[in-house]
Amino acid sequence: MNSFGGMALRYEQSSCRLELKGLPDVSAQPQSPSNSELLLSILTSWELNLGQRASLQGKREHLEALVETVLPYVRLMLSGAAYKQTSKSAVVVVAPRGRGHQLQLISSQPNTPPLDLQLDDAELADLTQCLDQMLLDPRQGLSFKQPLLKPKKHQAAAPAMVHSWAAPSAAIAAVALCALVAMLLPIPKPLLPASPQPIERQKP
Amino acid sequence: MERLDLLLLAIEALDLHGSEAMLWSCEQLDLQQPFPDRVALWKTRCRNPLRRASRRGEWSIEEQEGLIRLVCSLSQRLYPMLRQLLSSSEPDELTNQRWALFQERYNDLISERMNLKRGAVRLLLDQKTGAQRRREVVQTLALCAGGAGMQRLGACLMDGY
Repeated sequence: MNSFGGMALRYEQSSCRLELKGLPDVSAQPQSPSNSELLLSILTSWELNLGQRASLQGKREHLEALVETVLPYVRLMLSGAAYKQTSKSAVVVVAPRGRGHQLQLISSQPNTPPLDLQLDDAELADLTQCLDQMLLDPRQGLSFKQPLLKPKKHQAAAPAMVHSWAAPSAAIAAVALCALVAMLLPIPKPLLPASPQPIERQKP
Repeated sequence: MERLDLLLLAIEALDLHGSEAMLWSCEQLDLQQPFPDRVALWKTRCRNPLRRASRRGEWSIEEQEGLIRLVCSLSQRLYPMLRQLLSSSEPDELTNQRWALFQERYNDLISERMNLKRGAVRLLLDQKTGAQRRREVVQTLALCAGGAGMQRLGACLMDGY
């Protein structure tokens, strides 16, 4: 904490450094009586330094966009199904490119071209580690919405159920229709046996 | 089941004292309930159907969660080494040497412990597909290192990948 009451939190890896600056929310109740430390609850600025390649700054929304894009992308990559992820506000895009990953950051400033970075696996892992450390840090109280890391099967449960019920339902409907049609057909009347005709005997 | 065991095998290939580190980590992570000793951990890992001496049965939830915690904790410990393997900024010659060393140890462990008649095991040792599989294993370890990695690894194991 500095002399103005501001706080700074820093998370570092070899190729990545994330720094959050902000203020504690003094009006908020401490989480527990034993934990009277103030948490960084009001984010004034943040800076992400990707080695000598780029230094990014932004508002809380931009950091949230980075979290909601990078972590689900990494999650899908672990399942061998990584594909392009775009944040809701469309300011961050992560996608596979070549043997690495494309990180595109679209500036909110007018006349500023988007920043396009190529990350290798190690740099992506460093970025993930920094974001993980930030989200798990008990010193920050920013209550970021953590992206859901559900298994893919669970996400696809609803359409799968429709598919699993479709075939048996169609089969039962077809049987019922056949039965209805069969009931509508008139029952053929049994043919009465013809009365026996006397056979005239021929005289020899 | 296979994937978690192969991740542990990769950890052993990266760290010569990997099996000792696993036992030590079990104590540190308070995993002595599911894995009280070396034999219990070995028996659990032998449920992998790709093993040469595979044991029947499924893992309990406690065992599975314990192994996920163990993998994530050991990956965090080995993270600098994993990063070196994956980084493209390291000199190519050095990176190739590191991969060759990892390949040698990993393939030795696979040949020693896995059933070589299984197609999946043969693919791991194959010249063409093996390199890609080894890279995937190292990537997985790097991306699931640390506390938040547990949720990620657990979710991707549920995918059956």
